[in-house]
Amino acid sequence: MPAVAADMVTTIFMGGASARVDAEIAAKFKKGDAVVARNINPAGHTRLPRYVRGKRGTVVTDYGVFGFPDTSAHGKGETPQHVYSVRFSARELWGADASSRDSLYIDMWDDYLDPA
Amino acid sequence: MNGIHDLGGMHGMGPVDAETDEPIFHTDWERRLFAVMMATFASGIFNVDEFRHSVERMAPAEYLSTSYYEHWLHSLESVLVEKGHIERSELEAAWSNAPSAAGGGA
Repeated sequence: MPAVAADMVTTIFMGGASARVDAEIAAKFKKGDAVVARNINPAGHTRLPRYVRGKRGTVVTDYGVFGFPDTSAHGKGETPQHVYSVRFSARELWGADASSRDSLYIDMWDDYLDPA
Repeated sequence: MNGIHDLGGMHGMGPVDAETDEPIFHTDWERRLFAVMMATFASGIFNVDEFRHSVERMAPAEYLSTSYYEHWLHSLESVLVEKGHIERSELEAAWSNAPSAAGGGA
């Protein structure tokens, strides 16, 4: 990888870097689909929070194709796949004491989800 | 991994202390670390997921008692050692010569 030239620094830091991958990969889900987060407990890296595992949500947005942190953290390649914004109600995550009006939108890779 | 970094939903951590007029860096070593981190990252030595996983592998008690940039420092040291760019002994020698006010490893 080439060195970063001084005149590139501002652009990179102000714009950020993206893990988006330019690849034609089929999406497993679409907007409106009911999904359930997999109950996986890998010993390595994952961006699937513990509190969402086994919980049901709804796909709100398909962001497109991105590298998969669970494999790229371990030299196992990018494993490009779709990432979605998935809405989980606060009550689904935290139970009856949670507000009925609250929900969380969590970025979920295809490999974190099953159809509900 | 089911590490201490995955704090979502935990109780007892106290309030989130929002700082008024929070500076980008609180000390000069944080500024320097940011530059070193970006330079090594740009060189392609490691990717962001490897860097994050290295933070996750910190000892839980140390993770909870150190700052954001101390997490960065810990992770950067680990990945550079693991990928063979520096020796653990070089790192320990550098730390033993560091002025205590530099903080960092804590």
